[in-house]
Order: sequence, then structure tokens, then C-alpha cells
Amino acid sequence: MQVYDSSARQIPVISQVKSIYDNRGLLRLLVVRDLTVRYKRSVIGVWWSLLNPLFTTAVMFYVFNTVFKSKLPDGAPFLPYLLSGVLLITLFNQGLTMGADAIATGAGVLTKVYVRPEIFAASASISSAINFIIGLAPLTVVLAIYRKTPTWHFPMVLLVILCMTLFTTGLSLLLSIAYINFDDSRSLINIFLTALQYMTPIFYPITVLGPQTKEVIQLNPLYSYLQIFRKEFGKVGVSTFSNWEMMVISSIIAFVGGFYIFSKRWPKLVAKL
Amino acid sequence: MSRELIVEASEVTLAYRRTRHRVSSLKQTAIDTIKKRMAYEEFFALNGVTFDVARGETLSIIGRNGAGKSTLLKVVARVLPPTSGRMIVRGHVAPMIELGAGFNPELTAAENIVMYGTLLGRSPKEMRGRIEAIADWAGLTEHLDIPIRAYSSGMTARLAFATATDVTPDLLLIDEVLSVGDADFREKSAARTVEMMNSGCAVVLVSHDLDAVKEMSTRVVYLSGGIAKQSGDPTEVVEAYLADVHH
Repeated sequence: MQVYDSSARQIPVISQVKSIYDNRGLLRLLVVRDLTVRYKRSVIGVWWSLLNPLFTTAVMFYVFNTVFKSKLPDGAPFLPYLLSGVLLITLFNQGLTMGADAIATGAGVLTKVYVRPEIFAASASISSAINFIIGLAPLTVVLAIYRKTPTWHFPMVLLVILCMTLFTTGLSLLLSIAYINFDDSRSLINIFLTALQYMTPIFYPITVLGPQTKEVIQLNPLYSYLQIFRKEFGKVGVSTFSNWEMMVISSIIAFVGGFYIFSKRWPKLVAKL
Repeated sequence: MSRELIVEASEVTLAYRRTRHRVSSLKQTAIDTIKKRMAYEEFFALNGVTFDVARGETLSIIGRNGAGKSTLLKVVARVLPPTSGRMIVRGHVAPMIELGAGFNPELTAAENIVMYGTLLGRSPKEMRGRIEAIADWAGLTEHLDIPIRAYSSGMTARLAFATATDVTPDLLLIDEVLSVGDADFREKSAARTVEMMNSGCAVVLVSHDLDAVKEMSTRVVYLSGGIAKQSGDPTEVVEAYLADVHH
């Protein structure tokens, strides 16, 4: 028989991860729900979620092609370089904001039945990851246009996806704290997210930047995720070991830190929902 | 016979800081910080509430609006963690609080049954096996595969009620005895609620219907301003509450 004891000591992070694992049935349902609502019920189905990144890519390609096409390392073609960037930043933005929104709106249920809120952050990150994997199809097509194919070590991309899932799950928990505490935090955070996008070499090669700017950009963890993804999937970028370090460490810090802080704050937050 | 305690609440307190301003914004917080003004006040939604409920008993919570009744029910439901004191709940809880929370209009009735049941703590596999029975009881078998955005509010309420009550819980939490849908279904749902209450589980009931409270309860807690002002024999406590109200 299950016993709830409000005074029982819970070990942060571990107890939260365990509760997500214990509720994996619900987690799966939430992911399936996200995808069903997005795909099955819309007329153009799968293409709907790709429309935004593909359109953004098309516009950026039109505007920036002449400027950057010959500036890429190893003469990599600009279009797959660009699409990789847009897909990855979409993965980040979607996982982060969907998860934070779900918790901040109580997902409609958090104030009515007992469900660990972390499950909603995890499900948002996972369904964004699945969308991202679907987006690899058009990327493969774009690579083919330039007579390129995904590299033989493209399964390494799964590691990028895993790290990104941990990264966005942890950060979306932190973001939900801001959303719940301050009504006006959304617009400020949007400014920050826009800034972060420009600080990520989505459409420009990092080689065109000045030396100081370059150093700043390299501190952005998303830069490392992106470099690794570009190199491992279609070989349209270069990555170093320090990129791997940055990716793995940032994902662990965001995940553990996000879960820990969230577990301390949640009892006060839920009363505000 | 010894009582098998399902709920044990001791000195349950729920206090939170409430902003003096109606909205909580970063801007306001920044201004308050600069002006060194205390923007918060401590607010006790519940203050030292103690009670227990055993299997087969019904505890009712009465009190004026804002006395903390629904808050207390949410602490029992595990939604709100107490800031001090202790709450122990044993076994499977069926919270009949705002039924249908978590329903997604884009999903079909069958999908919503599984989702809602899972949110209420059952397994998706178990719920898949219950779809037919739940839909049958709600009289919605023919509409199982359409998104519930096409449902009337009465149909949605029937589906929610049927799903939420498709259990034999150890503890039943009721926020106002629910009767939903048309006259026929209202009778049916009231009958099912009574049947569940009599199934040998423990019940915590929040209600404004004092006659029903007197009739159904083993004990009554009268909450006022988050404090259990009186608790014990149903008739006595209800009388005391009525005396306060008429003053």
C-alpha cells in the first residue's frame, strides 16, 4: 500500500528522477498526446511542425547566402549549415518554453491532482526531441542536394539529443519558477532568448567574428551543441573535444541544478498557481 | 475493533507570503527592493489543523467561504505540501475535485479516459482495459472516437465523472457532492457517489449542504480562518457553526 507522509525526507534530484521513472506510463502518454495533437489532427500533419524551421531557413538563406557561402570551414555548403542551426535552436526553444509553459499554467491539473510537475518538463523536452528527429529528414534531403550524405557516425547525434533533453528539462524548470513568480518575466525572458539566438552561430560562421566576440560566443553552451551536431551529422562544421566537454557538463549542471532548485521552490510555487 | 487510520493530520499548517500588490511583477519587486519596503505579508491558509479519518468513516469539513476548506482538501490530496505539521495518507486516493482537469479537447473520449485515469494515479494499461466499461456507464459508447471538443459540457462532465469514479479507493475526497448532467444521470451519479462512500473507504467531504453533512458524517471539522474552531459530533459542530453564522 502506498503511503504519503509529508514529513518524509526526500532526496532532491534522485527522488524526482525516480518519480519520473515510476510514472513513465504517464510520461509516454504526454509525449504521445503532444505529437498526436500536433500531427494527426492537423491537415498537413508532420509538415506543420517543420514549416516554421523550413521557412525561417529559406528566408535566411535568401538573405545571407551571398555573404556567407564561401566563408564556411572546409568549403561546407551554406544551406545544410544553416538548416542544422535552425533545427537545433528550434529544439532548444521548443523544449524550454513548452515545458516552462506547461508547469506555469499548472498543465490544468497540478492544482487538482497529485502529479509531479517535472514530468511535464520532461515530456516537453522529449516531444521536442522527436520533432527534431523528424526534422533530420529534410536535412538529409538538403545534404543530398550538395551530394552529401549523413556521416557513418551520425548516431552520435543521439548523444547531442540526449544532452539537449537534459539541458532543456533542467532549464525549463528554472524558467517556470520565473514565470510563476513574476507576471512580467515572459517578455524579459523572450529578449534574453532572442539574444541567445544571435549569440549562437546559426546563420553565420564563427570565423567571420572578431577575436573577442568569438571568445564570448564560445562560452554559450549552445555553440558547442551546434558544432558537434553539424560535424557528426552532415560534416558541415568542425568540433573539438572542448565542445564535447562543454555539452556534457552544461547538460548535467542544468539538469541537476534545475531539478534541485525546483524541488526547493515548488512547495511555495504551487500555492501561487 | 481498532480503527484503521487512512488520514492522519497533525498540526497541519500552510503559510505563504502574499504580495501586498495584486500582481507580482519583476518591476514591482525591483521598486520595493530599492525602497526597502516589505512587499510581503505572512498568510495562514491553514493553521495547526489536526484530525484523523479511519476506514469506513466520513469526515466533513464545513466553514464559510475562504475558511480554508478546499485548501485543506488539497493538502490531503497531496497537491499542496504543508509548510509545517504532518500529513499522512495511506492507500489509493480518489480526488473528486474539479473533475475533468487534464481533459484535452483535441483528444478523443477514449484517449482522454486513459490520460485522465493515469493522471489520477492508475496505469495506462489498466485504463485501456476500462475504456468500454467507463464509456458504457457514462452512456457515451457511440461517441468514443471523436475529439471531446465536439462534446457538450454535459457529456464532458459525464465522461469525467465516470472516469474519476471508476475505482475502489482507500480514500475518497469530495469537494461538494457532485451531480452532473441531465436528471437521469444526476440520479445515477448521486447514487454512485453514495455507493462509493459506503464501500468501506475513508471519506473527506467538503460541503455547504449542512443537512447532508449531519446525515452522512461520522465527524465534522468546522474551519474558520484556517483554524479548526471546533470538531467532533456532527450535530453539535453544525449547530455551533450555524450559531456563528446567525450572529
